[in-house]
This record gives sequence, C-alpha cells and structure tokens, in this order.
Amino acid sequence: MKLPRFCYPLVIAACAILSGCNKGENQPATGTSNTEKPKIALVMKSLANEFFSTMEQGAKKHQQAHAADYDLLANGIKNETDLAEQVTLVEQMIARGVNAIVIAPADSKALVTVLKHAKAANILIINIDNKLDADVLKQENLQIPFVGPDNREGARKVGEALAKKLKAGDEVAIIEGIPTAFNGQQRRLGFEDAMKTGGMKMVTTQAGNWEMEKANNVASAILSEHPDLKAILCANDNMALGAVSAIESAGKSGKVLVVGFDNISAIKPLIEKGAVVATADQHGDQLAVFGIEAALKILKGQAPPADQTTPVDLITK
Amino acid sequence: MSLFKPRKLIEYAAMAAIWVALILLFGSLSHNFLSSRTFLTLANRIPALAVVSVGMTLVLVIGGIDLSVGSVAGLCGSLLGVLVLNCHMPFWEAVVLCLIMGLAAGTANGLVSVCLNIPSFIVTLGMLEVARGLAYLVTNSQTKYIGGAVEGLSEPVASFGVSPAFLITVALTIIGQIVLSRTVFGRYLIAIGTNEGATRLAGINPVPSKIAVFALAGLLSGLGGVFLTSRLGSADPNVGVGMELSAIAAVVIGGTSLMGGRGSVINTFFGVLIIATLDAGLAQIGASEPAKRVITGAVIVAAVVLDASRQRLATRLAQSFNVVKRNANTAAPTSPN
Repeated sequence: MKLPRFCYPLVIAACAILSGCNKGENQPATGTSNTEKPKIALVMKSLANEFFSTMEQGAKKHQQAHAADYDLLANGIKNETDLAEQVTLVEQMIARGVNAIVIAPADSKALVTVLKHAKAANILIINIDNKLDADVLKQENLQIPFVGPDNREGARKVGEALAKKLKAGDEVAIIEGIPTAFNGQQRRLGFEDAMKTGGMKMVTTQAGNWEMEKANNVASAILSEHPDLKAILCANDNMALGAVSAIESAGKSGKVLVVGFDNISAIKPLIEKGAVVATADQHGDQLAVFGIEAALKILKGQAPPADQTTPVDLITK
Repeated sequence: MSLFKPRKLIEYAAMAAIWVALILLFGSLSHNFLSSRTFLTLANRIPALAVVSVGMTLVLVIGGIDLSVGSVAGLCGSLLGVLVLNCHMPFWEAVVLCLIMGLAAGTANGLVSVCLNIPSFIVTLGMLEVARGLAYLVTNSQTKYIGGAVEGLSEPVASFGVSPAFLITVALTIIGQIVLSRTVFGRYLIAIGTNEGATRLAGINPVPSKIAVFALAGLLSGLGGVFLTSRLGSADPNVGVGMELSAIAAVVIGGTSLMGGRGSVINTFFGVLIIATLDAGLAQIGASEPAKRVITGAVIVAAVVLDASRQRLATRLAQSFNVVKRNANTAAPTSPN
C-alpha cells in the first residue's frame, strides 16, 4: 500500500496524537507495557534479490516459531539503490511505534540521519548485513550495534581455499561488486589478503556490479587480454556463474578456476562439478534472525547493545 | 535496390570506419585485443542486444519508443529457465513458449498505446515494471542454473567458429533491413513516422502496422532473452536491466531518428558492434568503473554528432556521384553522332 506523499505528515501527526493519548492512559500501568509483545520491524534492501527474499523468509519462519515472543513487520524496497524509499520505510516504522528496527541499510552513510530520528524516538536499532559507516556514526554520536558476518574474513577463507590449488606467480583477476558497497569492498580486500599471502599476481580488478551478465562480459574480456590467467575471484555467486560461462565459451573449462561468495542454490551443481572451487555461506536466511534475536535480548535487558559477529562457513566440494 | 544505393553504401562504410577506428584504438592500447578470441567473444555477446535493437529500430522509425524490451527479455529468459528446469520441457518447445510470451507482451504494448491513443513511452514504462515483476514471480527471485540443456544456441558451431545465435542475428538484421526498405509494410512504417496524419489521409490505416511493430519488438525481445539465458547457462531474473537504454543508444548511433521516419537496421547493427567493442575494449585495458562510464557516455554522444555530419557527407557524395552518372549517361548517346 502506498499513500500519496501529502498523507505522510498527516499519518505521522495522527500517530503522534494517538501515542500521546496512549501514554496518558497507560501512565499509571507502566508495568503492563513490559508484558506486551514487542513489535520488531525488519527493513531490508531489494526483495527482488534472492539474498534478501531468503532473509525475509527466514525471519518469518522464526517469528512463526516464536509467535508468543514478538510481532514482526517485514519490509523491503523495490530497487537496491532507492535510498529515499528506505528512508520513508524507516519513517513509517517510527510512526508505527515499533520497539526495535532491524535494518540492512541500502547505504552505509545516507541512512544515518533517519536512524538518528528513530533513536530519538526511543527505538532500538540493530544494523545487519551492510555495516553503517563508523566515522559518520561517531560524528553523530550514535551507537548502533552491528550483528553480521565479517565479509573480509569470509572472503579470505575462500581465497585461501583457491590458493591451495594455485602456485606462487599465477595470474588471477578479481570481479568485485558495486564498488561503493561496503560488503563488496570487504570481500575484495579479503580476496586480496589471501592472494598476497599466496604470492599470486593480481592482473586486474574490475566491477561486475553483482550482475551475472555484466560479470560474463567483463570475464570474457579479461580472458582475452590475459591468456595465462589461472583464476577469477568473484565477490558473489551470481557473478561467478557469469564467469563460469565465459570460461566455457572461451574453451578454457578446467584451466581457469572460479570462486564465489553467498552459496546460492544455483551454485551447488557447479561446486559439485568442480567448475567453482569454493564459496562462502554467511547463512543469509539466518542473518535477519540473528539481528532479531539480538534485539529481543537487548530489549529484555539480557545483553548489552554490542556488535556481534555471525558465522561464515567455507563451502567446497 | 535500395540496399545498395550509393548513398546507403557510403553510410555503411562510414559506420564500419568508426568501428574499425575503435578496434585500432584498443588494439594499440592493449596487448591482446587484436586476436581472434576478442572477435569470437564479441560475436558471442552481441546477439541479444542486436536482435532487441532490430525491434527498437522499427519502433523508433514509426516515432514510438519501447522501454520494456529489457524487462521482457528478462521475463522470457527467466521463463525459459523455469520451463526447462522445473517443468522438464524440451528446449525447443520452451523456446517457442518464451517467444509467444514476448509476442504477447509486445502486442499488449501495441494494443494499449495505439488503440487507446496513449503515448508508447508511458505504456511501455508500465510494461517494464510488469514484466520485471513477473520475471521475479516465475523464478521466485532466484537465479537458476541450467547448464548444458540451453547452451547449444550460444556454443560456436565447429566449422564457423560462431554460434547459431550470431548467425540468426545476422540473418534477422538483413531481413529487417529488407523489410524496412523493400516491402510495402516497411514503407508504411517510414510514412507513419514521417507524417502519420498525411499517411491516414492517403488512405492507409496506420493502426495495424503500428500494433505489428510493437508486437515484433516484443517477439524480438523474447528472442533476446532466450539468447541471454542460453549464453549464461543460467536464468537470472535480473538479466537485461537497463538493456532498453543500450538498445536505444545503439539505434541512435546507427542514425535512426528519435523523431521517426528515418532508420536503418544495418546501421543499428554497427551501433551494437560499437557499443559492445567499447565495453569489451575498456574491460581489456582494465579501465576503472567510473572511467568506463564517462568514456562510454562520451563516445555515444560523439558517435551521434559524427552521424549527423556523416549523413550530410553521404548526401553530398551521393549527389556528386549521381551528377557524374547523369553526365556519363547524357554523354553516351551523343557520342555515336
């Protein structure tokens, strides 16, 4: 449901009035508000992306299993880069008077302002997936716990699994995600760490923007330019799929190795076949659940609002 | 006849010259650009964009626009994956169904925009959303790996070194040019694009031709989607995002007017080659992402500017060629006397 824009101030005003009234009525009985089920809002990026739709399904399943503990409001935006829509979503959640917002920010800086408003409205915020920029948070004097995987460490593990199959001096290329995305940068750094330790020669790093077709085109060009290339490291599995088909059509199957990240279902047959050496599973379906569980604990006062690192597993044949 | 008019030949040569200049530029900037592998890679990657651009050329010729091509390609490509993988349908039957899907989307665009007299810009913008949504729906937002079952279309045929998809593309480009310049239907399209009112007054009903053009654009987008899925060996519901803009750029680089009434399918093919070569070349020299975008944008504008002067030049050259021919013709019969 989408309200015309001019309605938002009205809705927010209405909610403010209502919550004001509630406060008045409930004031003598503050004790009861603790026994009420907390409302947790999950704000995600594009639900068109398999990664986030799996995340949403995982969260919904968890809520059904723990229906007595909390209510869930799950929302995503249409377009990965549509920051304005995600800001609007957070505003709506503030207006709904939720107890906690678990958010995968579409941008690590642009969401900070609206989250500051949420915090001012006494809402607990948990940051998942894409980590908010530490400098901006410090500047705004905000403390928002991050619950999520260490992408750099995960990518390093994947890179090391690949390095075992290569020797020092071998030429490798990296296809990164959208260059501005924090998790993409972390994965690239993790790949670079592993390749430097192994003594491989990195001939080029190019952006595949997380897309299969774009990665396919870039990989084809890299294969033409560097005939001695031994491996392509891709920052997600979609791009790894594109790289594998580029290698096949260049007639180099088995001669150029590929690694990915995310462990999506489509990559499994390629891992079996050996066309993809390794990928990392950061338990995408559980990422939102980890965030929700952290929020519930903090709301109950069972845990301090601190960062938590969630597991990343190496997947090989 | 009109395929080989001197004016047209000069135009084709000028487009080819721009392409060759680009190849030489990248050849001098990188180590291995001038190799057979580069050209096979190019031949392997252009079919999807090229067939979509054939449809886009026809749409622009009648003064319309189709923004839905990328999404329709995405939908048909995704559908192919679902039919082959989840419904275990034989490849060719699935392809036929995907083409029907594309045709249906295009026909819907045509019916709504022509019969209800709504600008095609907004109707196809709606279809862009609808088709992309359906692509996510049929695939459940998941990338599907298919593998060998669909790759036949895009694997090089041993004796040619190029894929069946590329051969189909070349054939469709030539057929498209013949249809546009040598058939009654094609001349109607140019007449409609030049002056629709005058065409109607001349006793030609533009409605069936216009609907047919949108239907064809949908069908060709569907084929583009099939080519994409076949090349990638996987069905990705995100495939073809932004393809409409690449197609429009290729068509306009090829000299087709955005205002309608003028266009050439063969020059569109050169436009596709130029865009694909630029993309491949920039990746081979390892340009950074921002640099790639800046350079691609600049080259698109430069190519269109060159196109304007190219057309003036071609007209002037063709005129002087005709003058020479006329002089020769008038000289010939007088000489025996």
